[in-house]
Amino acid sequence: MSFGQILAKRVGYGLVLLIAVVVLNFTLITIAPGDVADAIAGDMGGADASVLAEIRQRYGLDQPFMSQLWRYLSSVAVMDLGYSYFYNTPVTELILQRLPATLLLIFSSQILAISVGVLLGVMAARKPNSLVNLCVTFLSLFGFAAPVFWTGILLIILFVSVYPVFPVGGMMNAALIDASFFEQSINIAYHLVLPMVTLASIYLALYSRLTRASMQEVLGSDYIRTARAKGLRENKVFYKHALKNSLGPLVTVAGLQFSAVMSGAVVVEAVFNWPGLGTLALQAILARDTPTIMGILFFSSLVVIVVNIITDLVLRMIDPRIRAE
Amino acid sequence: MKLAFKSLFAATAVAALMATSATADEPKTGGTLTMAIQQTPRHLNPAVQSGTATGVPGTQLFASLLRYDEGWEPQPYLAESWDVSADGLSVTVNLVKDAVFHDGVPITSDDVAFSIDTVKANHPFKSMFAPVTEVATPDAHTAVIKLSKPHPALLLAMSSQLLAIIPKHIYGDGQDPKTHPANSENVVGSGPFKLVEFKKGEHVILERNENYFMDGLPYLDRIVMRIMPDDSTRAIALESGELQMSGFESSPRNIVRLKKNADLKVSNAGYAAIGPVNWLAFNTRAEKLSDPMVRKAIAYAVDREFINKALNMGTAPTALTGIHPGSPFYDETVEAYDVDLAKANQILDAAGYGKGSDGMRFGLSIDYGWPAMKPYAEYMKPQLKKIGINVTVRSSADFPTWAKRISTWDFDMTMDNVFNWGDPVIGVHRTYSSDNIKEGVIWSNTQQYSNDRVDAIMEEAGATNDPAKRTALYAELQQILADELPLYPIFASPYHTVSSISAVGNASDSIWGTSTPLDRVYLK
Amino acid sequence: MTDTAHTTELKDENVVATSPWREMATMFVRNYAAVAGLILLTLIILFAFVGPLIHPVDPFEMVWAPFTTPMQDGFILGTDYLGRDILAAMMVGGQVSMAIGLSAALVSVTIGVSVGAFAGYYGGLIEELLMRFTEFFQVLPTLLFSMVIVALFGASLLTVTLAIGVVSWTAVARVTRSEFLRIREMEYVAASRSGSARDLYLIFNVILPNALPPIVVQANLMVGSAILFEAALSFLGLSDPNVISWGQVIGSNRPYILDAGFAVAIPGFAIFLTVLAISLVGDGLNDALNPKLRQR
Repeated sequence: MSFGQILAKRVGYGLVLLIAVVVLNFTLITIAPGDVADAIAGDMGGADASVLAEIRQRYGLDQPFMSQLWRYLSSVAVMDLGYSYFYNTPVTELILQRLPATLLLIFSSQILAISVGVLLGVMAARKPNSLVNLCVTFLSLFGFAAPVFWTGILLIILFVSVYPVFPVGGMMNAALIDASFFEQSINIAYHLVLPMVTLASIYLALYSRLTRASMQEVLGSDYIRTARAKGLRENKVFYKHALKNSLGPLVTVAGLQFSAVMSGAVVVEAVFNWPGLGTLALQAILARDTPTIMGILFFSSLVVIVVNIITDLVLRMIDPRIRAE
Repeated sequence: MKLAFKSLFAATAVAALMATSATADEPKTGGTLTMAIQQTPRHLNPAVQSGTATGVPGTQLFASLLRYDEGWEPQPYLAESWDVSADGLSVTVNLVKDAVFHDGVPITSDDVAFSIDTVKANHPFKSMFAPVTEVATPDAHTAVIKLSKPHPALLLAMSSQLLAIIPKHIYGDGQDPKTHPANSENVVGSGPFKLVEFKKGEHVILERNENYFMDGLPYLDRIVMRIMPDDSTRAIALESGELQMSGFESSPRNIVRLKKNADLKVSNAGYAAIGPVNWLAFNTRAEKLSDPMVRKAIAYAVDREFINKALNMGTAPTALTGIHPGSPFYDETVEAYDVDLAKANQILDAAGYGKGSDGMRFGLSIDYGWPAMKPYAEYMKPQLKKIGINVTVRSSADFPTWAKRISTWDFDMTMDNVFNWGDPVIGVHRTYSSDNIKEGVIWSNTQQYSNDRVDAIMEEAGATNDPAKRTALYAELQQILADELPLYPIFASPYHTVSSISAVGNASDSIWGTSTPLDRVYLK
Repeated sequence: MTDTAHTTELKDENVVATSPWREMATMFVRNYAAVAGLILLTLIILFAFVGPLIHPVDPFEMVWAPFTTPMQDGFILGTDYLGRDILAAMMVGGQVSMAIGLSAALVSVTIGVSVGAFAGYYGGLIEELLMRFTEFFQVLPTLLFSMVIVALFGASLLTVTLAIGVVSWTAVARVTRSEFLRIREMEYVAASRSGSARDLYLIFNVILPNALPPIVVQANLMVGSAILFEAALSFLGLSDPNVISWGQVIGSNRPYILDAGFAVAIPGFAIFLTVLAISLVGDGLNDALNPKLRQR
């Protein structure tokens, strides 16, 4: 199958998945007790039955289920995710506003986790009985077992309260709204450090362990033995051959983990008040802003599907074994 | 390092003080004030939305007719003078002559009439302008408000966020004012500050209105209101100087902690008009709670002392009635139901609720609407266990769920915090009036309490301007309520305004806390 | 070189037929970290379930002044914001956290094994459908989705357990399916199949027992992550207030971290230790099952 055909197949399938997600979310929210009208009424300070009926009519909530579902699906198809009564903004706009912050957090933490993780893993694989190896083992255990919000809170206590080095939360000092892009970026970076490190901590552990295991496996293989026998320098053997071939599992895991990374991001954003999709989701849930909730669920599923497709394609490119399929 | 920071701050403050000792107390113009607000406002127009989340930014954007000083004296604002007729049935308001909206259009009596109509039709507090029959506009700067009966709450209702003067030429376009786009963007207001940016969930940024009708004001160039719902985050930010001011701080731990900080002024002055009372509300039509003996027993079991000392750390005044202790109408002589577990047990025994083999008589549920109320609801569980009531704490994932439960009477007991809003007519009557048992409306008479004498008292007190008469009537009201206990008041929310001593001047000078124009606040 | 090794192995296998369980146990015991984890886990379980017998304090009871620091006034772990004993809360909370972890893992495993077993055994269209079904759940954002479920249907022990279990089963399904695919082709299965053995009997009585080892490892992982999951939900405020769990203690005391950090640090540490112990055991199980290691 050609690349294009594979891509088309994946994308097509992804679309089907997406529609299924939307239907599931919509159904769930419809069968749950209470609806948008209650939420709107509650927010207004209460409303009697006639006002509730009026609200329901205005939002089309008195229509039969299938027609509501169809309406929602067709609007989603044109990327109109509805209107958030709570924020008084179209959901799509709301999500796009918050998206960059979350992306920044996720990607910076993943880059940190991958680069430091691979480095540590490689060092540990190279010297199996060293301190580094022990550190990697310990780190990986801590990374998995420590609840991410606990790590975040500990970091806050340490670096904001006891030693006030970093700001307590948020993304940028709002007073800098007119400052230069450069100044703003520095300030954002300053705010980014603690949340980024917190989110990276889980995956750093995972990636370093994975790299180490993967390297160990590759190092024991015939391929490497041959390279060594050929007289290639140890460094070259190590980095060019072993590392390249151990990246496959890393990419797979990194891609598959994306859904978990997003969950982690939600919690980290809550701890640090980082204005991304996670805090938006939490606020929307606490305010029962169903259009926004559905929009975020849809959007994150979309991102996961896209990342899965990309991971799949990247894997095909770097791992010759799969290409042969 | 924190200590070093603090002493550095203190040293700088002293130096600054010495440097400007000649003009130490004179307001300076300029600068950006960074303050915190605790919830995201849905939009910024207080004319169609209640709540301080909208009120704090809203009162900067929109002016009202009057404003009140710390002594509960009404001061001129958009109204440079006013007059109440002898029979109390008409109030004449004279507007400032040169006031304009943010877009330059003059503010006239037509806008006042329009605003009153809009508030009357859309604002949840129906009692504010219910007696208004018409607003006449004999000339561009005079409005005559005609009433169906004397309305003692009118002047208060014309201040702060309760009557925002909105532009008729914007809101009179036929769109529903509750969802009008100008509520959040391109806001055209009448107040001391204009809107720069409103990023929901993040901040509201305001800048000086150069055409503000009060000369020389506002002092500040800009106000940045950061939306920070987390108590600890705000506390840290205030201590580090990231925030210079924060209003409506009520977390006891924060208050105690921040008070220890030499550079922070933590003042509870100025919240008397908000009048927040926290109580344990009973659904008087629920099975067990319809028996007043049960309610009395619970009242004897709840230990106000413990709550105020341990949970509130001594920061909150005790509230014995549904009227705020800071109100001139408060009656502190009512039955206090000081904690007496033996008596509570006796009452329940005598009323026929025997203890089962597990020591329990019956079960009740308790709700709470938002996280700050949780500790008080949780307190009830072990405390009422001591008199044989098995309490189940029900959580609601979100405010609307709780609001729906309470307003549809699907509850036994709930913790609640309700504001007096200055005059009992506005915020107190709604809790006890038989007419206000409205299904689906939160903060109505959700206790389903009904007493003819109470209704009569409130009717009379709401129709006379005579303060002595009103005091007597409200005293009787509070005595009856303390006997019938549709709810059990516990404490008044300890709202404080926290501001940086070295950075901020005139932090609070009104009875409405920070839900008031900050035009006189300045940066040192 | 490879040939000899192969022959040697074959010979060994013909002589001694040990069950995969016994092999696993032997490997496990040799792994010090795994044994340490098991001991730690046992201690924690004892603390949670036997502890209350030694320290019979009601964790809901307000026993002292709020925020008493640990080791003060006789309260080893101090008191929380309502003056409740944190030690008691740790014990009872441990029972709940671990129970939720176990139940949620059980829900996950039940769903996952069923889906994976049927997919791996039947193949064809059924496998295709079931795998699509699995992928669908993989795509759902786990934490967000369970937050929504708990928020919509109310936070109770049941909804929390179900919410966690329902989003976490996909890994188990995948492992089960690949095991079934592998074992299905083995001779003894083919033999039974050619007889009149019914499918369900084959799936649950013949194949499944042999597929269990990797499933057990996965299930072990599930318990750990379910505990973390519940803690995260509680931290975000979505937990049953009538039930004390470690995550719930963290969540309730979160507003007070600046002044009483211990109330948050202690349960966080308890979760950490428990999940650590569980994953050490899981690592040991995993290593014990790894065929490459078995070669050594």
